[in-house]
Amino acid sequence: MLASVSRRAILGIYAVIIIVPLTVVGFGSFKSTQELFAGPFSLPQSLSPANYAEVIAGQNLGSSFMNSVIVTAISVPLTLFLASLAGYAVSRLKGFISWAIFGFLVLGMAIPAQANMVPLYVLFGRLGLLDNLAGLVVANVVSTLPIAVFILGGFMRTLPKELYEASSIDGTGPWRTYTSIALPLSAPSVAAAAIFLFVIHWNELLYPLLFIQSPGNRTLPLALLSFQGEFQTNYPLLFAGVILASLPVVVAYVFLQRYFVAGITAGASKG
Amino acid sequence: MSTHIGTAAKRKAPHSHPEPSATKVRRRSPTRVNPALYLFPLPAVAVIAFFLLMPTLQAFQYAITDWNGFSAAFNYVGLDNFIRAFTGDSLFTNALTNNLKFVLLVVIAQTAFSLVLALLLTKNSRGSILLRALFFFPTILSSVSVAFIWKFIYDPNFGLANSVLGAVGLESLQGSYLGNNAQALYWVAVTQVWFHAGQMMVVYIAGLQSIPRELYEAAEMDGANRWQQFKSITWPFVAPATSIVVAYTTVQSFKAFDLILGIAGNPPKGSLDILSTRIYSTFANSEFGYAAAQSIIFMGMIALVTWLQRRLLRLTPKGE
Amino acid sequence: MSQISRRQAIALLGALGFGATAAACAGPGGSTAPGGATGPAAPATGNITGKVSFAHWRGEDKAVFDELIKRFEALHDGVEVAQDISTSNDYNAQALQKLRGGSIGDAFATFRGAQFKNFTEAGIYTELKDSKAVANYQPGLLSAGQSGESQLGLPYQVVFPMPLANVDLFDKAGAEIAPKNWDAFLGMCEKLAASGVVPISWPGGDVGNGGQLFNCMIANNAPVDDMCAQIEQGKLKVTDDWFLKMLGQYKDLVPYLQPNATGTAVEPAQNLFSQGKAAMLATGSYHIAAVRGLGAQFPMELVFPNTSDGNAKYEGVYNATFILGVNSASKNQAAAAAWIDFLSEPENAGYYANQTAQHVSVNNVEYTNTDLKRLSPWLEKKTALAARFQFLNLDVRNAVEASATAVISGASPEQAAEAAQKIVDERI
Repeated sequence: MLASVSRRAILGIYAVIIIVPLTVVGFGSFKSTQELFAGPFSLPQSLSPANYAEVIAGQNLGSSFMNSVIVTAISVPLTLFLASLAGYAVSRLKGFISWAIFGFLVLGMAIPAQANMVPLYVLFGRLGLLDNLAGLVVANVVSTLPIAVFILGGFMRTLPKELYEASSIDGTGPWRTYTSIALPLSAPSVAAAAIFLFVIHWNELLYPLLFIQSPGNRTLPLALLSFQGEFQTNYPLLFAGVILASLPVVVAYVFLQRYFVAGITAGASKG
Repeated sequence: MSTHIGTAAKRKAPHSHPEPSATKVRRRSPTRVNPALYLFPLPAVAVIAFFLLMPTLQAFQYAITDWNGFSAAFNYVGLDNFIRAFTGDSLFTNALTNNLKFVLLVVIAQTAFSLVLALLLTKNSRGSILLRALFFFPTILSSVSVAFIWKFIYDPNFGLANSVLGAVGLESLQGSYLGNNAQALYWVAVTQVWFHAGQMMVVYIAGLQSIPRELYEAAEMDGANRWQQFKSITWPFVAPATSIVVAYTTVQSFKAFDLILGIAGNPPKGSLDILSTRIYSTFANSEFGYAAAQSIIFMGMIALVTWLQRRLLRLTPKGE
Repeated sequence: MSQISRRQAIALLGALGFGATAAACAGPGGSTAPGGATGPAAPATGNITGKVSFAHWRGEDKAVFDELIKRFEALHDGVEVAQDISTSNDYNAQALQKLRGGSIGDAFATFRGAQFKNFTEAGIYTELKDSKAVANYQPGLLSAGQSGESQLGLPYQVVFPMPLANVDLFDKAGAEIAPKNWDAFLGMCEKLAASGVVPISWPGGDVGNGGQLFNCMIANNAPVDDMCAQIEQGKLKVTDDWFLKMLGQYKDLVPYLQPNATGTAVEPAQNLFSQGKAAMLATGSYHIAAVRGLGAQFPMELVFPNTSDGNAKYEGVYNATFILGVNSASKNQAAAAAWIDFLSEPENAGYYANQTAQHVSVNNVEYTNTDLKRLSPWLEKKTALAARFQFLNLDVRNAVEASATAVISGASPEQAAEAAQKIVDERI
């Protein structure tokens, strides 16, 4: 009895601690500063989209949104492609070489992105990758490739070898085996990895902060961060920005929840 | 929307043991590998070698110079940068102390709290599944968004925390949160736990659901109480999950860069400066050589703390 | 687990071999600074067309600049000006790195002091001595943009980083608006507090804005005018008596600040002031427009926290800042220079001044904005140049200013000063 009451209390309180701030942010995005400060919990007086219009048009959050879409749409498939190619090879090669390749690729997980910022900045400067979206794609791919290899490679190794062997006896080349056997069979793992990468790439802040100079090339998290100063702390505008920036992941979460949990947990477990 | 979370957690269960057994099968394979297969990992290997390992090694080279990042001239200064970081730079040692404190706080709080949540939500009832989905939700937000939400909660004049305290008559508990240098780091730790506890909860649920129910039934027959059951069954069985949670939380809280920058501004004040933000400030101050040295110390710290944790928690299998 | 470690070990060996070879090829250095020993050149001339990036930190002036840009674009066919705005803290920390490549900031602004000097040393400014613009400025205010013989930048704004006062609240409380010494200042705060308002709203949670009060507090306490430069060089110490006295005066302010002042961000501080809950906003004249934007109708004046015993050397502080320049790495210097010329014409400078409620250093500007008219007498007063911009190292500046914040959160002046001096000593 007591246990059940305290269970409900803990869960209930924590649920409130999650729901209330999110609600306040949702309501707040429709308010003026004065209205928000006067009553943060109250319903907005009107559902005026003025804050949204201001952040999208006035502050170019629209173009930052597109930049984020472009970067994520390229870097996620690219990472998956490179990682699945490598994972597939590792699952089929033998002995030392397989170990060495796998080890070499996943070793990168031990190097935190922030430890690399100085040399990477210099390198990107020399390659002309500063202040453009291509640089962000490269940075995203590099930083998440090790963990993607770990997830996909780990999964592909558990596929029954007989499938591969049958196809190579048929004389099918490795590319065909990769596209027609390995990839389809790994679909759940690829989906989980895709979600994991999507969340990381969409929310990435460090690389844009380091590399991007022109406001036109900002991605959403960087645009949001720079907002804070341009408006000092105009919370309603910040909240509208937060909602816009979170919208795609939230929508994806509602519809693809299973893969989210699997993917993000896989990322944690393997990372 | 939420019926999947339970099954997903279950589905995850076999994978959460990081030991795939497939390698042995592979070695028995009789067929000769197609040489073209060696081309497959090449792009990934090239990318990692060029953009990850080479810069990392270069960091070691920069770390022994006083290069400012733009001029052609620089001097090799040996280990001066490292000596300066540890003995002559209280801003760096302050960031280091803050960071270790932050990691310790978050690891303990987040591991304990996510285990509690998982224990309360192990059963796949409709309510549990709904709450799991809710608790997991903050994880998918960006750090900057989470930082802004909490900045408003902590705002001492118009923020949520003080408004709520004032409304229920607890004015005496109102504070300035991030404005109080003695407490600021703790408040950011609370935010970090809010951000990621749900994610770790899912890892724990997977571990908990893999425990055979018969064990508890047998223990109950022996008259073991709840706490004894937890100690002798649950805790040992979730050890692999704990190991994952602790390791991931550690790395995550070392990297709380985005959260700190969003919540404390750039550059953050001393009481909220951690290693990554300090490295960034040094970098922004055009001290590239010194920033590289700080990065190397940063990498070393993560490795050291991870290793220590494994020893302390005895989560590493013997003989490693 | 053991399998992975073995794999990692093998891979590490391989990686070291590969990486060492690669690393040997590329070392530091390589990209050279523009400018060089010959001194800065004038901006290139040519057609006024193409894209111009204007980098600055005044997000609150965006709309006003947009209007000026529209007028500028109407004058010249094919020219397009885009604003690249960072926050003032970010701008302070990163603008040098970002502008050096020339991809942004064809025309740009810098803060007076450290940033201007760093930009000068990195060769980012071009020579504006013979530009059309320079003749429009009041000669006395140009010095902040000079380096040796060169006029590299044009300090556009004159701001007063002093507390703003709500005159109505002062009248109601019967408080004196121009205290002659520190006791009078505290007496004024006391009267305001007694009338039921917060005397001073101070954004202590924001380093950039919270630090403006420091300019006022140090102006009459310091033994020399270049005290901050001397602190940074180690000639003066923050553990010196005069500095401790100033920190003690900060402590005197604690009862008159809003509760939890050290955690207060700018917007909430502005709100306290604009809603009439606080009598002063301890930032500066550059916030007048923002406060009006929040709905404040009351008349505003500037208040100088006079820290002296009555024999004050200065009656206030000012800052000549927003130092306009043309980027030497820019590929469109002609258009960038034309944009600076345009901004410096009295008509346009006047539009900027009146719309943003900030004085400018351009001659023959007619101030029509009520707030500006009211504050114009300050242009003639004996004011000190704001001191905090003398710091060249941001770590030092933050540490010194943090000592004041520490005192307000309860540290003793001695403790706070020692902690700050330690950081300064490490960076001399």
